[in-house]
Amino acid sequence: MRPFTWLTPETTEEAVALLRAHGEGARVIAGGQTLLLAMKERLVGPSHLVSLARITDLAGITTEPDGALVVGAATTYAALTRAELPGWQRRLSEVAGDLADRPVRNRGTIGGALCAADPRFDMPAFAVGVDAELRISGAAGERALPAHEFLVDAGRTALGQDEILTAVVLPPLPTWDVVVFEKFRHRVFDAAIASAVCALRREDHGVPASLRITVAGATPTPTVVLVDAAADGAAAAESAVAAVRLDSSDEATRYRRELVHTLVRRVVDRAHAQQGSV
Amino acid sequence: MTETQARPTGVAPRLVGTSVPRKEDLALLTGTARFVDDIRLPGMVHARILRSDVAHARVRTVDTAPALEVPGVLDAMAGAELVGKVKPWGDLMQDLLVGDHFPFATDKVLYQGQELAAVVAETPHQAWDGCEAVRVELEELPAVVDPEEALSPTAPLIQEQILYEFGEGNVFDRYKVRVGDFAAAEAEAAVVVRQRFATNKQAGAALEPHGCVADYDSFTGVLTLYSSTQSIYMVRDVLADVLQIPRTKVRVLVPAVGAGFGSKAQIFAHEVIASLFSMRLGRPVKLMLPRADVFRAGTTRNAQVHYAELAMAADGTITGYRDYIVHNTGAMSVWGNQVVHIGTNVGMLPYAIPNVHVDSDIVHTTTAPGGPLRGFGIPQAIWVKEQLVDMAARELGLDPLAVRERNVIDPAEFPYRTPMGHVIDSTSIKRCLQTCADAIGWDAPRAPYEGKGLAVSMKYTSARHPSLDTDLSAVRLRLETDGTVTIYSSDVSHGQGHATMLAQIVADGLGVGIEKVSLAPPDSMTAPFGLGTYASRGAAVLGTACRLATQRLRDKVLAIAAHVLEVAPEDLDTGNDRVFVKGLPDTGIYLEIIAATAAYRTHQLPPGFEPTLEAVATYDTPTEREAPDGRGNLSVTYSGAAHAAHVRVDPDTGRITVLDYAMAHDTGTVINPLIVEGQHHGGFAMGLGMVLSEDYVYDEQGRLLNASFKDYLAVTATDVPELSKTVEIPAPSTMIPGGQKGAGESGTGPVPAAIGNAVFDATGIRFTTLPITPQRMLVALREKERRGVETLRYPDDMPDFRGPRQHTDWPSPVASDADLDLDFDWEDD
Ligand SMILES: Cc1cc2nc3c(=O)[nH]c(=O)nc-3n(C[C@H](O)[C@H](O)[C@H](O)COP(=O)(O)OP(=O)(O)OC[C@H]3O[C@@H](n4cnc5c(N)ncnc54)[C@H](O)[C@@H]3O)c2cc1C
Repeated sequence: MRPFTWLTPETTEEAVALLRAHGEGARVIAGGQTLLLAMKERLVGPSHLVSLARITDLAGITTEPDGALVVGAATTYAALTRAELPGWQRRLSEVAGDLADRPVRNRGTIGGALCAADPRFDMPAFAVGVDAELRISGAAGERALPAHEFLVDAGRTALGQDEILTAVVLPPLPTWDVVVFEKFRHRVFDAAIASAVCALRREDHGVPASLRITVAGATPTPTVVLVDAAADGAAAAESAVAAVRLDSSDEATRYRRELVHTLVRRVVDRAHAQQGSV
Repeated sequence: MTETQARPTGVAPRLVGTSVPRKEDLALLTGTARFVDDIRLPGMVHARILRSDVAHARVRTVDTAPALEVPGVLDAMAGAELVGKVKPWGDLMQDLLVGDHFPFATDKVLYQGQELAAVVAETPHQAWDGCEAVRVELEELPAVVDPEEALSPTAPLIQEQILYEFGEGNVFDRYKVRVGDFAAAEAEAAVVVRQRFATNKQAGAALEPHGCVADYDSFTGVLTLYSSTQSIYMVRDVLADVLQIPRTKVRVLVPAVGAGFGSKAQIFAHEVIASLFSMRLGRPVKLMLPRADVFRAGTTRNAQVHYAELAMAADGTITGYRDYIVHNTGAMSVWGNQVVHIGTNVGMLPYAIPNVHVDSDIVHTTTAPGGPLRGFGIPQAIWVKEQLVDMAARELGLDPLAVRERNVIDPAEFPYRTPMGHVIDSTSIKRCLQTCADAIGWDAPRAPYEGKGLAVSMKYTSARHPSLDTDLSAVRLRLETDGTVTIYSSDVSHGQGHATMLAQIVADGLGVGIEKVSLAPPDSMTAPFGLGTYASRGAAVLGTACRLATQRLRDKVLAIAAHVLEVAPEDLDTGNDRVFVKGLPDTGIYLEIIAATAAYRTHQLPPGFEPTLEAVATYDTPTEREAPDGRGNLSVTYSGAAHAAHVRVDPDTGRITVLDYAMAHDTGTVINPLIVEGQHHGGFAMGLGMVLSEDYVYDEQGRLLNASFKDYLAVTATDVPELSKTVEIPAPSTMIPGGQKGAGESGTGPVPAAIGNAVFDATGIRFTTLPITPQRMLVALREKERRGVETLRYPDDMPDFRGPRQHTDWPSPVASDADLDLDFDWEDD
């Protein structure tokens, strides 16, 4: 680590102003579970850290009148795990409760995971998978982006230097009937080698109307796979494997391809098999 | 398991054989145990090592001058300035004429992570700043990662400075075994199975990193080194030699150690560097290795390539074993070549194979130093041999259990000498085998993608190392003037529970309460000379020294009591902190009184009694030196281990889950079942990592790609199945007075092979390389499906495998029988 100045703004505006004032050397710190590791190894050496810890608006979960779920970017995994969410939105708690280890979940935040944009992390996959919207505050004002546009490349987002991710908005409950998430990792606290999300919406009489499949881990950013709403697991898996274009023949790539196939087949078959809003 | 012995009524029950809770645990569990990094001495400063980021290079410039300009930096050094001032080391254990280790690379870098320079500053971060300022110019050379490539006449020469016995090249040492006549066995066998196997480079991965604090007293000239090490005297003796100062001027002390597993069983450059800085500055210097440095520059399990053959008669009798082992000892290694000697010699057990023919080329590569790691070559040997046993059994249509039952040592009489020279003093290995097979339901049908596997091993209990003709430990005991007892030992406890185990022995032998017995921290100024803690030697070797010292101390105590009570010593007994007349346990004299008498009322002592109550004992095992043909009884006794695994393979992800695992061990007389069971469980976990996930991953330039706990897939608690089927079937040693055998490593040996055999049973895929990762498993399954075959070898049958697929294409040993021809030139071969 290198010496740095620790700043603790109490509002988002103040935080944005600090980022602007200190320029390239300034970095936002949320839970620090990615950033501190990099700082410890001197891979990065920010001069100023702008902590989100005192900005109360950034942590916590609220529901909009239309049923959209607004999750503050600095909400910890631990808080998400404890939240009691309705229908498929509950998946957020489950995903948050089944990653990393307890110390990391106590500190790490949903926003930090999205801003870190590591392809193997769970929250980017989940956010793209359910088509979440990300709210951003900056010196130039507020804006919002769909999660898949926010994630630009491995480790890179659409955020400007003086912008802060403020919230992750999950669409209202009726958007999906069923959301299923699966991942494969070596050890229980390892990031996923590959993950897949299936979001399914049915028409009134139960016929699939829309099937959104997202694959992550295997590609620099999560990939949304276009499939027919009625596609079964096997068919969807074939489409997914084609979409992620893991063409190289080395063993690691072959393996990722196999995992994508397996995970997509599993999430789609599981989604079709479930009834009601789950 | 408990030694049954008549004892007088009223005397506390014997503690040996009972699960006394560990004396160590309270401090460890409450976070109050002090490790090296907890040491803060007045005026202490911090050092850091700058390590090479490339694996193989010629050193052009290492200029430390810019570092001295960095704020806070006090001193800096590099290799060139030390040449001729400090002595290279490495000769003690390797039988080399000169050492191959030096604090820094001078003219060549031999592996990524090798020391280039070091900086000492007021704070650790300033020292790091200083390292960043050092100007380094290296001329990169081609790396040699693959041990078989290292043998090629065209391979880059790694160690240029050392002229080895075998001429120029990367062969550091050779080893061979010639027992019986393998060719004859081969000719007569019903089946000979042959397979190439490759093992992995596993890390010690001790939770506490290596590190030390050096504190030089410029007035007395005494250098005190606090270090996280397994052996204080090996560190002291080598350090004194390197610095060319008397051994009385080096004091090595060891605080709590967060494990070693063999990876701290030697001196390291950082210990020399911290010492040099402290001597130069006259201030205490702390040097803790970051985790990445521990991975890159600590020692690892030696990776091996085996070309192995096993001959079997039609009835399943194993008649011969032949192997050519290319043993990767890394760029340099203090212990590395020994691993193949002992691993092979002892690795032939628990069978009495009449014909054994082994050659090994021990080679350098530009990778991290190899060395001892839990099992010392035995897990590698067992992985190979126990899979061949299964392969042969299947070819003959025999049950792998029945074949092992037929072959494991089960003599009519003990001691029994095997053709390899081991003297087996006792064993229950056959019952261990049957017990563990029964425990997992060996005969029950298997569900799809489920399989069961067996493996057996016998692990040495300490060893007389071929290049180090000694196998001793010592204990000094002092009965303090208040009746408490201090144990002094130089064999560092780093997870083995010595404070508890030794206290049990002393408590029983002296009749003193265990709470009154303490183990002094290892300190080379006060502890008797001993080799250290490795090779599963604590309970048997150190324990025997402790037992002897206890007897001697007891004799002295009885002599005083006999004099005071006016009875013969033979009429006395000890117990409940007292000496009493036999049959009258509620009377007698407190040890406290006797001890005080020995120190403060010496006129009351028996005539001629030398005052104070101390006793020291050294135990050197009655073991043999290794013979030129590889024979020899290198170990005083052997611990049997039979393991049975039941696994499931997920055909969609390749994940291997251990559903059930049974271990049956013969650890002889168990002093503390709780500790021994813990050792077996830990040993299992390391075996599990070796077979399923752990390995050093290098790129072609020799850069280690997984030098962190994030990327290095060490096993964690959730990966370990319920190990509720861990049983002891004790066959007490008759060589060791207390009957105990080594416990620390027997849990590791059979694990890779048992799981490998189970994976084959589940899938028809024989893995010949380690580890069996989900990736390899799934890719192999797909290849097998694609070909529509019943069985497949991975990687030998994969399309992109580049090694020899058939026995006829195998390489011959570079060494062969031409060893003694010193002009032998393999370029003409
Ligand atoms: C042992 C371990 C295991 C792990 N296992 C998993 C796993 O299984 N699955 C998984 O998904 N993840 C895993 N992780 C990663 C963990 O989820 C991330 O570290 C965490 O989500 C990052 O969140 P944070 O709040 O700690 O971010 P920080 O480290 O504080 O920040 C990360 C980056 O995002 C920026 N940033 C943070 N918040 C904002 C914001 N609101 N606006 C703008 N920029 C911001 C920071 O400047 C920094 O660049 C693991 C981490 C560890 C240490």
